Amino acid sequence: MTVQDSTAPDAALGLAGIPHTGEGVTADGHLTEPQAEDFHHARSAPPDPRWYKSAVFYEVLVRAFNDSDGNGTGDLRGLADKLDYLQWLGIDCLWLPPFYASPLRDGGYDISDFRAVLPEFGTVDDFGYLLDQAHKRGIRVITDLVLNHTSDAHPWFQESRQHPDGPYGDYYVWSDTDDRYSDARIIFVDTETSNWTYDPVRGQFYWHRFFSHQPDLNYENPEVQEAMLDVLRFWLDIGIDGFRLDAVPYLFEEEGTNCENLPRTHEFLKRCRKVVDDEYPGRVLLAEANQWPADVVEYFGDQGVGGDECHMAFHFPLMPRIFMAVRRESRFPISEILAQTPSIPSGAQWGIFLRNHDELTLEMVTDEERDYMYAEYAKDPRMKANIGIRRRLAPLLDNDRNQQELFTALLLSLPGSPVLYYGDEIGMGDNIWLGDRDAVRTPMQWSPDRNAGFSRCDPGRLYLPTIADPVYGFQAVNVESAMNNTSSLLHWTRRMLQVRTEHPAFGHGDFTELGSSNPSVLAYLRRHEGDVVICVNNLSRFPQPVELHLSEHDGCVPVELTGGVRFPAIGELPYLLTLPGHGFYWFQITQPHEEGEPQ
Amino acid sequence: MSTRPLHAVESLADDLRAWLPAQRWFAAKGRDLTDVRVERAEVLSSGEPTLVHALLDVDGELYQVFIGVRYQLPEHLNGSLIGRIGESYAYEAAHDPELMAGLLDLLATSADTGSLHWRPEPGISLVTGLRARPIGVEQSNTSIVYGYHYILKLFRRPTPGANRDVDLHRALASAGSTQVAAPVATVEDDDCVLGFAQRYLGDAAEGWATATASVRDLLAEGDLHAREVGGDFAGEASRLGAAVAQVHADLAEELGTQVDHDVDAGVAEMHARLDAVLAEVPALAEHERTLREAFDAVRAVSAMPVQHIHGDLHLGQVLRTTAGWVLIDFEGEPASAPRERVRMRSPLRDVAGMLRSFDYAALHLLAGDEPDNQRLTRAAEWADRNRSAFCDGYATVGEDPRADAALLRAFELDKAVYEVAYEHRNRPDWVPIPLAAIRRAPGIP
Ligand SMILES: Nc1ncnc2c1ncn2[C@@H]1O[C@H](COP(=O)(O)OP(=O)(O)OP(=O)(O)O)[C@@H](O)[C@H]1O
Repeated sequence: MTVQDSTAPDAALGLAGIPHTGEGVTADGHLTEPQAEDFHHARSAPPDPRWYKSAVFYEVLVRAFNDSDGNGTGDLRGLADKLDYLQWLGIDCLWLPPFYASPLRDGGYDISDFRAVLPEFGTVDDFGYLLDQAHKRGIRVITDLVLNHTSDAHPWFQESRQHPDGPYGDYYVWSDTDDRYSDARIIFVDTETSNWTYDPVRGQFYWHRFFSHQPDLNYENPEVQEAMLDVLRFWLDIGIDGFRLDAVPYLFEEEGTNCENLPRTHEFLKRCRKVVDDEYPGRVLLAEANQWPADVVEYFGDQGVGGDECHMAFHFPLMPRIFMAVRRESRFPISEILAQTPSIPSGAQWGIFLRNHDELTLEMVTDEERDYMYAEYAKDPRMKANIGIRRRLAPLLDNDRNQQELFTALLLSLPGSPVLYYGDEIGMGDNIWLGDRDAVRTPMQWSPDRNAGFSRCDPGRLYLPTIADPVYGFQAVNVESAMNNTSSLLHWTRRMLQVRTEHPAFGHGDFTELGSSNPSVLAYLRRHEGDVVICVNNLSRFPQPVELHLSEHDGCVPVELTGGVRFPAIGELPYLLTLPGHGFYWFQITQPHEEGEPQ
Repeated sequence: MSTRPLHAVESLADDLRAWLPAQRWFAAKGRDLTDVRVERAEVLSSGEPTLVHALLDVDGELYQVFIGVRYQLPEHLNGSLIGRIGESYAYEAAHDPELMAGLLDLLATSADTGSLHWRPEPGISLVTGLRARPIGVEQSNTSIVYGYHYILKLFRRPTPGANRDVDLHRALASAGSTQVAAPVATVEDDDCVLGFAQRYLGDAAEGWATATASVRDLLAEGDLHAREVGGDFAGEASRLGAAVAQVHADLAEELGTQVDHDVDAGVAEMHARLDAVLAEVPALAEHERTLREAFDAVRAVSAMPVQHIHGDLHLGQVLRTTAGWVLIDFEGEPASAPRERVRMRSPLRDVAGMLRSFDYAALHLLAGDEPDNQRLTRAAEWADRNRSAFCDGYATVGEDPRADAALLRAFELDKAVYEVAYEHRNRPDWVPIPLAAIRRAPGIP
């Protein structure tokens, strides 16, 4: 046992009494770390190697969802208690932002122990319980993992700065000068002036692509690579279904480059993938690389073998384009970005979203487009953050039900696996008076009761106040009343998810845009083997006619997917549809004999 | 009938006389036809159905028609019936996907059928086996779309000699232009170009529809300015300006430029056109002085650069595709004689055409309504904003068209005078649109 003093590597963790890294030191100077065998393992999810291609993801902040112990902060047990709701809604996979031990100086992305859970959220065993209960309901769980850096409170960094010659001396990127890799841009220009920071303890500079309290791990060191692969194994053994790998482009550095997307970074991702494929088939890696699709596809790896790096990656530029297209009543913002999106390997899938826990990021748009988005969707300066807009879907769309439905229909039918953001299914609002990105991280609204049914605590102890305004407040907007009202947005969303599940074309199908002479109507065809679905969206607030050229399906009958109504058969002539303002249709194209009475 | 197509079509003459005037592409509307003669008729494919190609001389004008012949007429072709040839039905073959599909094979195989030569462009090998469909828009020719690949325009009134649409497209294609749909094939006889196939831009929407969606958005807002509404079109207008300037630059590069030293002759033409319209439309009289002064101001220009231009540029001649703006239909101004159309002209003529088109897009929703000052002001704001955005975009590639204010102004007014006459004859409710433009025209610079 090491002595508990302020210089002990695990001193900063606040994890006394629960298993954590650095509780002991081995003979050769390595820190002991918790092992997966020490914890309960969850039962497996139903086997399906391609599940992520058709899954609907739901991003949920543990802190914001449900508080089981009444301390004002949501936790893993609380989330587990709400799995029935998520199963009822039709969610296939939860995505949890990091819940690891952390000083929380960067929303938990500053991880101080990869093998311990943030105490206010629970324990590793609580996570195992959540996983087990989720798998029991056919729901999978993935979480964020930051490969690139750790918190400066991580015992590895404490060891590294204090013992340059010890086993961790080389775990981070140290230098006597602060002038190496000068071509790498500074990401957080508001807070950081350099990618190097001087550490008085070690008397050297350390490298960090993000905040100075997040030193970059040194991937040149083979031991670091092994250690991080073991972190993957730790959680995979407990039963997690995959990771969203945060900030992947930055793992390696090389003089004379911008230190992003380097070949050796891809090599390491291939190693991660191999671990998953060989040891944990059916689990997934999702790359977080906020870049243009043409660059992001690199992270799927080799097309020839169906992809050998990440299974999934987010499609960032699509989201602002959806907003622009509807506001401009023109399909071109969406059509353009999809036309510029390269094809991806057969085993790969995009993740697409309308909103998430970050601001609506406008990094992947031109300056002109960013000005446009600010002018249209962030009329109050407080709605802006960094280069984005900190608002939830409902207020972004002026709480207009038709638009919320249209946006959701687009999200569920465009190519990629949709990611819903907690609370958007009931039309929750935001609180732009809260600082940073907290506007969109307020407690989930379960009922009209105290604290929106989120916690039993004294309202003053809530980690963030509930939304209380007359329009979006929990008295008006909550799960309980939405469930009691079958015409609510919640019920509508659930029905749409059901329809989506019934049609492999949405998840697995290819995508063909069906041009039309009406620039306000976006129509496309999704096809997977025999399943052919046509989606027609009116991006304008005014009713619109559209003529579609479907003669390829001459004789077939379009059946509307939400109600099953059969539309007139397709013939040689253009197929005329009229759509109400912001209306949309999903049709299955059926052979004439498929439906109805035997003939 | 396959041996005697000429007689067969001649036997249809009375039916054709009744049928032709109802066709959108038929030019001499409203006049009684006296004489329909069959210049030539050839079978392109025989069997059930049979396809006959015919050139008709209709009171001295040449027309191209495709006639399908079937023993049994499927329901979707009922509306296309022309008459009977013996026991069979004769109908507009352009509406028959089955027959039109065959034309693509003729093009792909470089076929010669009687007097017709079907040719892919050099280096192009055409995909075949595609479904054919008529585009189904009102147009002065007839276009057939093949799958998502090609669009074949069949010229309804072929003229002997070079075809401007084909020639300018070829020039632009050879300059590597991305602002046109690449030419892929032609159909010709020894005198005329009869058909022209290009790459089909399946994702395209017309500029007019795109622009008017923006206007609609604006007019639905009571109190917002054009730059404030979400449907703002200025970004598009600017990109369109740059595309037009690029086309002008490419045409100048490929086909050369000249300097017109006889500017006075052009001024005289504008005056002459005005004379004619004044005689017809009394409402124009109050603007005569403004107009004449604007035309005369051009005399100060001693030499005017000219080149090949689009010639009939407006928002209906541009397509927004996912890769940017594309210009179509380089046939030139429909109202002028073929010999006139091939003349080199000032590129500002195209700019003037597009600027007038923005004006139309802004105001068309108000046509026929009681004048409403609020809406008129909004619409005028939209027009001004997009007209200047178009010029800004143009200036990023070429000379700022506003630098030649006197010329641009005269060309715009000349165009507006033409519009007054056109609207007076065809759509009297719309006359106020060009009239308002003339009234709003800035004074002599
Ligand atoms: N390459 C193309 N790809 C897609 N659509 C096209 C293409 N070319 C033309 N079109 C469509 O066909 C319509 C008619 O084309 P075009 O203007 O060339 O024919 P036209 O008969 O000369 O027409 P107009 O009567 O307008 O002079 C256009 O308005 C456009 O919508």
